[in-house]
Amino acid sequence: MIDYQLLRARSFNEALEILESKKNVRCLAGGTDILVDLHHKDEFFDSVDYLLDINSIDELKGIKLGKKEGEIGSLTTHSEIIENKELQEKLPFVAAAAASIGSTQIRNRATIGGNLVNAAACADSFSPMIALEAEVVLVSKRGERRLSIRDFIKSPYKTALAEDELLKKIVFPMPQGEYYSSYQKIGRRKAVSISRISLTLLAEVKAEKIVNIQVVSGAATPSPVPFEKVNEYLSAKNLAEVDSKEAGRIAAEEMVEITGRRWSTPYKQPALSKLVERAVEDMLEEAGYNG
Amino acid sequence: MAKLDVELTVNGEKYNLKVGSQERLLDTIRKQLKLTGTKEGCSVGECGACTVILDDKAVNSCMVLTAQVDGSQIITVEGLESKGGLHPLQKAFIEKQAIQCGFCTPGMLMSALALIKENPQPSKEEIKTALEGNLCRCTGYQQIIEAVEAAAEEWGV
Repeated sequence: MIDYQLLRARSFNEALEILESKKNVRCLAGGTDILVDLHHKDEFFDSVDYLLDINSIDELKGIKLGKKEGEIGSLTTHSEIIENKELQEKLPFVAAAAASIGSTQIRNRATIGGNLVNAAACADSFSPMIALEAEVVLVSKRGERRLSIRDFIKSPYKTALAEDELLKKIVFPMPQGEYYSSYQKIGRRKAVSISRISLTLLAEVKAEKIVNIQVVSGAATPSPVPFEKVNEYLSAKNLAEVDSKEAGRIAAEEMVEITGRRWSTPYKQPALSKLVERAVEDMLEEAGYNG
Repeated sequence: MAKLDVELTVNGEKYNLKVGSQERLLDTIRKQLKLTGTKEGCSVGECGACTVILDDKAVNSCMVLTAQVDGSQIITVEGLESKGGLHPLQKAFIEKQAIQCGFCTPGMLMSALALIKENPQPSKEEIKTALEGNLCRCTGYQQIIEAVEAAAEEWGV
């Protein structure tokens, strides 16, 4: 039987005090994962004595994009990310990832922080944030620490978040100069779709040469990771030399190295290959480079 | 487990309620307020039958705990009809035959209302995006999209 007490934090400090003083507390943000678990009487609730609703904490909301650094509050909903004009313009791949999540109703409630803390292998917020080399800011009564998103996610559904910590915001360096990006996703249907494979590409270009590249897997691997070999292939290449098909081939090979051969490999290999190819072509097209 | 105090404004009427820690907004609306127009379908946020408008946004009421939304404004399908009769959206759904069994209709109407309130002249694509979280197993969607287009044309604010 599920038996917990719902608590409501009225301020950031009150939330931290509750997390410090009580055991077995889980934060409740948009609720779009936790209420599914509640309905299914999931074992998640075996170790939950308190759900702490954090929705009224204003410090956890909002998007700020500076010249050097940007930040997204953990309680920012996917709808707020999509509707932010500045973010749409400067970080279109972050908006595209948010738009691919769930449905309008889900995006109106679900938050980027919840997506990261839940840490499903298919979570759509990870690959754009890893491409940005983002860090999470974790706060407790003991103090504040920053952790790269890659170190934050330990394995599917496991993060480095301590029992008394709250994910406050996600911070990242803003891409500089000339940069191009793409977000790609395949699910079993268009809407309300769980990613089967997704990825983000972010490239900084100087004088038609790729100076910084991040191609990051989404749902293709157990945890989201950069495709090191694809990045190596694209790194320091002139746009004229880039072969999108070759990048796709390398990515598919790398995925199999990470995951091993599975029943889904004959499907995922060509599918991922094509997605990487599309992402690279997006970059070339955006750069006005048609070969 | 201690009950929690919640104040809600539903369809313009204020309610002071006591709710349990596991009580969903859907349960409160249907069981405490006896507003049974809002339907429970999948219970996991996929079908949209339970859609209501929460502070101007369409949400699945099966995905929200009532205690989370203290002080909020909620519109359910019962809030559409007024003394003047059916709402233009409801009339359009009837005229375009956008209803068969009717189970998804309250949720469809709420998603459409949230859309038109924010965007009085939506494109077909915008209508599809607004309704992508609402499943209908009878109509094939075409008539529903046409009904929302017709209502927006007639009533768009």
